[in-house]
Amino acid sequence: MGAYFIRRLLLLIPTFLGITFLVFTVTRFVPGGPVDQMLLQMQATTGEAGGGGGGGAASTVEIPTEVLDELNAHYNLDKPFYVSYALWMKDLLTLNLGESYKFNQPVLDIIVARFPVSIYFGLIGFTLAYSVCVPLGILKAIKHGSVFDFASSALVFVGYSIPGWALGAVLLVIFGGGSFFDFVPLGGFRSEGWDDMPMWQKITDQLHHTILPVIAYAAGSFATLTVLMKNSLMENLGQDYVRTAFAKGLDERRVMLVHALRNSLIPICTGLGHAIGIVMAGSYLIELVFNIDGIGYLGYTSIIERDYAVVMGILVINTLLALVGNILSDVLYVLVDPRIRFS
Amino acid sequence: MSKKTAPKSQSIFQKRLKKFKSFKRGYYSALLLFGAFLLSFLNPILVNNKALAVSYQGEMYFPALTTDVYQAKDLGQRMIGEADYRQLADQYEEKNEGDWVVMPLYPYSPIESLLTDPKLPGPPPHSPTAEHWMGTDDRGRDVFARLVYGFRISLAFGLGVVTFGYVIGMTVGACLGYFGGRLDIIGQRFVEMWSGMPFLYTVIIISSLIKPDFLLLIAILAAWRWMGISYYMRGEFYREKAKDYVSAAIAQGDSHSSIIFRHILPNSLTPIISFAPFALVGAIGSLVSLDFLGFGLQPPTPSWGELVKQGLANIQKWHLVFFPLGALFSTLLMVVFIGEAVREAFDPKVFSRLR
Repeated sequence: MGAYFIRRLLLLIPTFLGITFLVFTVTRFVPGGPVDQMLLQMQATTGEAGGGGGGGAASTVEIPTEVLDELNAHYNLDKPFYVSYALWMKDLLTLNLGESYKFNQPVLDIIVARFPVSIYFGLIGFTLAYSVCVPLGILKAIKHGSVFDFASSALVFVGYSIPGWALGAVLLVIFGGGSFFDFVPLGGFRSEGWDDMPMWQKITDQLHHTILPVIAYAAGSFATLTVLMKNSLMENLGQDYVRTAFAKGLDERRVMLVHALRNSLIPICTGLGHAIGIVMAGSYLIELVFNIDGIGYLGYTSIIERDYAVVMGILVINTLLALVGNILSDVLYVLVDPRIRFS
Repeated sequence: MSKKTAPKSQSIFQKRLKKFKSFKRGYYSALLLFGAFLLSFLNPILVNNKALAVSYQGEMYFPALTTDVYQAKDLGQRMIGEADYRQLADQYEEKNEGDWVVMPLYPYSPIESLLTDPKLPGPPPHSPTAEHWMGTDDRGRDVFARLVYGFRISLAFGLGVVTFGYVIGMTVGACLGYFGGRLDIIGQRFVEMWSGMPFLYTVIIISSLIKPDFLLLIAILAAWRWMGISYYMRGEFYREKAKDYVSAAIAQGDSHSSIIFRHILPNSLTPIISFAPFALVGAIGSLVSLDFLGFGLQPPTPSWGELVKQGLANIQKWHLVFFPLGALFSTLLMVVFIGEAVREAFDPKVFSRLR
């Protein structure tokens, strides 16, 4: 067993190298990197843009070649891509993700500063999803075929057919004060001047900013999670050990909630491992809909502004979280289900 | 043989089809969606700003049916460039010289800017009116026309991604499951590695760098959507390979390709067929998400996601968010209904229940 997980951990390394190398190489072979962006900016500030704009930045502005060389050297753009990948990897091993040219700050600091916001929304949304879906799934399984089961199935179908961020967008239009109701602000984490508010106002303000994004997060996994819970319990209810429990004369409540339920929670538990990626790294779509300045939003804006150091930094963190999440799922699997033996 | 024949025997497929039809909402969703998709190929003559037919000084023109571009001056219109057929219709009617224009049912095009239209005062996006059923977007283009064209694009795109992803996933999964051994071990590590990549983020990065067209974007998305299928396929092949009929085929001296395609493949399709509608839901959802982020199909392709993006930038214009997401929702809901019926028909799960 231990050997299995050591092998899994070792396997992390080639996977990680493969992914980062692929993306790194792609970003290198495409025009519009940091130096080009800087040239564009210089062009804009010196006001010599003329009619050019757009693509051919270097042609309109005279940049001394020494400056260009210096810039290229600074971003390791003067070396072959595999060399600069190796240099980047060497820096990474010392937790140095480079510097963002947009923020002029170390990438790690920028990312770490945005973690709390992403985790705040992710964690609440995740908790909400589990605390709604698990009881609902159990109830649906116990009352299989009843009116309640059919009525709640309608909700499940809706959940399958609308992505979480899309539901968020609809709710924002309805409640965000654009056309219909003005209950909640147009996104963000907190209102401006939050620190100076009295305690009560602080709480309501925070709640107003929280409610819609959190619903969007939860809606994203609502349908799958509910159905998973229901099917898992249904499957266990048909097992022999349930028959035995009934035969012993236990009452239905005990059989359902103690015997069957415990076993049917196994697939739900293993999902917890995968959730780490979503909780910590946020969601690009939801953070963009609600203007939440978290990891996802940062990743999105960095791609648009070609701030590759940040783009690569977020890729590293996302990939690591996803890979660790996978392993964590397996660990949880072994912990909750002693029948499972990986070898 | 006696006269009383036994009930006609049905193949497994006929039985499944019958079962599928018995799920009404799935069956009707399938008919409706298929019908709408076929109808959408008639878009150019249903929703278009080019006239179906023009009769001018005794001569007939069919602008919507041909690729020819007719100059305004050739049709008696006082302007430069291509003719404006809606205006032309009014003009002919006013002059009453026997010339006439037949416009499509909905006379607006998805990529035509209506900023110069005198009937639409003020800056775009315009709210819905009797003429523009769903208003216009921020460049003054008709939202309804964009939705109608976007439907065909979204569905065709989704089907493309599913097909492409299935081909890759089935090939990889079948090879790993059938040949096994070292190939399986190495192949599985590779699949694991590939699934470790953050899907949306990587696709956005690549899409931001190479500005893909329709087919290339299908290929990129399919490249991240085949791993699930390969797991299914590998499992099925692994299981089927150990069965007696495969040993019999090997003993007969059948070739690998014959065993794979004639014997095992038909027996291992059930789980992936019942998964297909849900894969389609995922693919269409990804396209709309990518378009919303601005990394999907290139403008001015009519797209649902792009409209939502505009809607959130103009939050008081509810029609830019509600209509495209309504279209997305109804399309996906129909596919989910189909998926439910297909799964029940192909892969029925009977929960035995004690008490």
